[in-house]
Amino acid sequence: MGPTYPPSGGAASVRDALRAVRQAGAAEAASEPPLELRLVAPEPPRLQRAEPLEGDAVRVRRVPGDPVVGIAAFLDGIQESRVIAHWPGGIPLVHGTVAAAVRLRRSRTLVAWRSDSVRVERALFVPRAAVGEAAWDALGAECDVRDTLARGEEGPWHPQEFTARALSAVQRRRESAETVCAELWCAEGDGPLFVDGGIAAVGAAAHSTRAIGVVKSHRTLYVDGDALPVVLALAAGERTTAFTVTSPRRAPVASWYLRLREPAAHDALWGLVRVEAALDGATAERADLVSRWLLAERAPVSLPDPRWGAMAYGVRLTEEYLRAVTR
Amino acid sequence: MPIGRVVATERRPNTPHEFHFWTALDAPVGIGTIVRVEGPPTGEGRLATIYGVVVEGFSYTDLQTPLHDVIGADGDPAAATRAPTDRTEIRLYTAHALRHVPDEPLQPVPMGTVHLATEDDIAVALRMDGYLRAGQHTGIPIGVYRSGTMQAPIYLDADFLLGPEAAHLNISGVSGLATKTSAVEWLLSSIFAHFPAQKGSVAAVCFNVKGPDLCFLDQLSEKLDDADRALYEAAGVPAEPFQHVEYFAPWTARGHALATLRSNAALSHNVHPLSWGLREVLQYAEVLLNKDDVDAKADALIDFIRERVVNQEFSDPILPRAHTVRSFSDLEQWFRDVLRGMESRNAETWRTHHVATIRKVRNRLTNISTRCRGLVTDDGTSNDLPFGSFKDRAVYVIDVASSEEDAQDLIFARVVSQLREQLERRTLGVDHVVVFVDELNKYAPSDGPDTYVRQMLLDIAERGRYLGLVLFAAQQFRSQVHRRVVGNCGTALFGRMDMDELATPGYATLAPATRIKLSTLDKGQLMVRHPHFAQPVFVRFPRPAVLGGREGVERFPAEPEPSLEVAVTRTLRALDPSVTLEWVKQAIVAAPEDDVLRARNRTLQARPEDVKAYFRAQFRSRVQAESVGARPASLPLAGAGGDDPYGF
Repeated sequence: MGPTYPPSGGAASVRDALRAVRQAGAAEAASEPPLELRLVAPEPPRLQRAEPLEGDAVRVRRVPGDPVVGIAAFLDGIQESRVIAHWPGGIPLVHGTVAAAVRLRRSRTLVAWRSDSVRVERALFVPRAAVGEAAWDALGAECDVRDTLARGEEGPWHPQEFTARALSAVQRRRESAETVCAELWCAEGDGPLFVDGGIAAVGAAAHSTRAIGVVKSHRTLYVDGDALPVVLALAAGERTTAFTVTSPRRAPVASWYLRLREPAAHDALWGLVRVEAALDGATAERADLVSRWLLAERAPVSLPDPRWGAMAYGVRLTEEYLRAVTR
Repeated sequence: MPIGRVVATERRPNTPHEFHFWTALDAPVGIGTIVRVEGPPTGEGRLATIYGVVVEGFSYTDLQTPLHDVIGADGDPAAATRAPTDRTEIRLYTAHALRHVPDEPLQPVPMGTVHLATEDDIAVALRMDGYLRAGQHTGIPIGVYRSGTMQAPIYLDADFLLGPEAAHLNISGVSGLATKTSAVEWLLSSIFAHFPAQKGSVAAVCFNVKGPDLCFLDQLSEKLDDADRALYEAAGVPAEPFQHVEYFAPWTARGHALATLRSNAALSHNVHPLSWGLREVLQYAEVLLNKDDVDAKADALIDFIRERVVNQEFSDPILPRAHTVRSFSDLEQWFRDVLRGMESRNAETWRTHHVATIRKVRNRLTNISTRCRGLVTDDGTSNDLPFGSFKDRAVYVIDVASSEEDAQDLIFARVVSQLREQLERRTLGVDHVVVFVDELNKYAPSDGPDTYVRQMLLDIAERGRYLGLVLFAAQQFRSQVHRRVVGNCGTALFGRMDMDELATPGYATLAPATRIKLSTLDKGQLMVRHPHFAQPVFVRFPRPAVLGGREGVERFPAEPEPSLEVAVTRTLRALDPSVTLEWVKQAIVAAPEDDVLRARNRTLQARPEDVKAYFRAQFRSRVQAESVGARPASLPLAGAGGDDPYGF
């Protein structure tokens, strides 16, 4: 499955995929919501201690100075997976679309940075070992197909395992597209890139000062019990001191919590983001400057998106752009 | 370079007649902009091209509610402008299709690219290409369409403006914005400059119904600026006043001067009296007599007088002498003798006409000279438009602004009837006549009594195009004009309109944004409807090259009504420059004023070689005319006698 451009094209549009499954003899599935909305398997909330990077403990620090515009571009990715057919034996055939893009800010408007900074990929996600080689070949003759199982893996499988695997495969493709875009910017872009999500898993971007990761979800809070009240009590315009986030399969990055908006009647994590930046050059001054950039992105608000408390408008626009080019 | 892209959604689909497109925020597109859509190839491999005019525009952002913006700016409007990213905004336009090429099959407008129309595109979009071909050019510039730096002249088709295919023009607009009169003046200049030679000659008859509006059509305006001259040049119309203009106005009630604001001596060379005698007026007596007055019996008597009495010797046993009725004075004398004769014979009827009918007709006819004083002469003298010798590209202005309503109606009815008759006989002198009437809602109202004038306007509107008699009419409120009159106008112009007027059903076919634009048009802007244009288009036209009424009266102030001697001197001096005030004083010494005016009018009508001798001769012959006011207040009723005033 190669990247495609212009975005409206695709190696396996839903129409292509449906034609392929019909010809292969699969039963067409009823229209259902995307797997992303059906298969929610969140990791359990947890606290994970992180090593302080700025001082010896997590403390509150008011971001000095006014918000300042510093972000040059935004990176975001989207994915959508749908079961479009079932192979005999209850095996779901999933059509997945992923897209990622870097949108450059020019004259207060987001525009395309360059043609290869928009990645759109479409494919049919099929458990090869489960459907057999004949079906795999038949489907592959009509559209791009991706195997959702590991090589040599054997059954039996729970039927829902197939959809979970397909969803994971689509997610990996989306992360891959985001990584390509992020690395492209870090290599050739000019100015800080606002990455929606962490940068620790985004290849070379994890080490680049041009990439700023902003994490909105907080299933894992990188504080221990003593520091937790400090994070939850952050006021708008305040940040925690920086700490290091490490993970076995991810690059270590500098990180800190930043309160964008007062939670007011919301829960304590509302309006809170965790910022990730390359460890190299991660000083207190750098963290303050990046925080000022992010505080500047509070306007305009991203309503009506429900995540507006922590979501930058540039990210929302990038998402809207990706939805537009994938439909 | 495309400036937009056609879009359609299930909620807002495109049709063959309407489509939607978006543009960049800074695209030079607005209400009235003409665009070209280039669609994908048709089944036959031809590219579909659709031309349209923008009729509605929308702008919105991804904001779901204004409250979100307030929240984002923390209630501080200034903060909103400091946001690092502008909200995504769309400029979405709705356009109405002007033309599809190819025109078959007629399909919904495809999802194509949108371009600003070029000058060539405009010609195709408005179907002007059909009448702007070399050798068959019948285009009359109405103005210039502008889009960005591009400007293209917009042409009306002479065949559809002046007949015979369609004809007539109606213009609406609020007063005081120099739109209606200015537009007609400009259009007449354009017609005179571009009317195709193969279609013959054309002249204009304009009724000046208010103030000095049309009183200076032969004088150059000093208000033309470079922009105006550029518009004249673009349209190929010379920026100069009309070359040949003749003015006509009735006399004032005193009769010393003409009732017009063009009374400055410097401009008197082409101002002529308009006065009619009995013969001319009796032809149009119906104009001044409403239906309650003229029943079948009265009508029969009027016909009898017209056919058997006027301008011929008439004898009857009841009359003491033979009558030759040539004037209102003669007519009054004739009525008096008829009634006396009936009285002496104790007769209630004469030639089947009842005495009451005779009295009523006498009353109605003889007071016409009072009601239309200045226009109608007691003595039968007549000064008229030069019917039969109308000149090509000439303008004949009839100033009725100072006349009473009855006189205005009479003037309009007789002039238009004469034009129609002479055009029918091809004896007018020109092949086409444009009749310009302002305040049409007064003469052809949508409601009220069915008047002779309204019937006449309906007749012109419905049949005039075959004769070359073309109505250019203006009014403030089109909705108040008879719908058959405006409905028969092939071309309609709209200046700035009143919002209340735009709310009437006649404007329901216009998109809301178009209506709003109409209510805010600048001076010099018009919306044009023409049979060739599938949709109305907006154009600009220059200031008229002629002196406006207000400027005109400042530069050529109206002169006060002169004394009798001065008035006669001025009139006669136009015929014979050797006439002096002293000579006139001597010539009219001791003569009654009515006799002096009668002598002046007759001299003016006769235009003799020896003006002085002719004028003096009028006093020697002493026309024995009696004024209408001299007749007895009443005559005894038949059967009444003795001392009993009630006749018992």
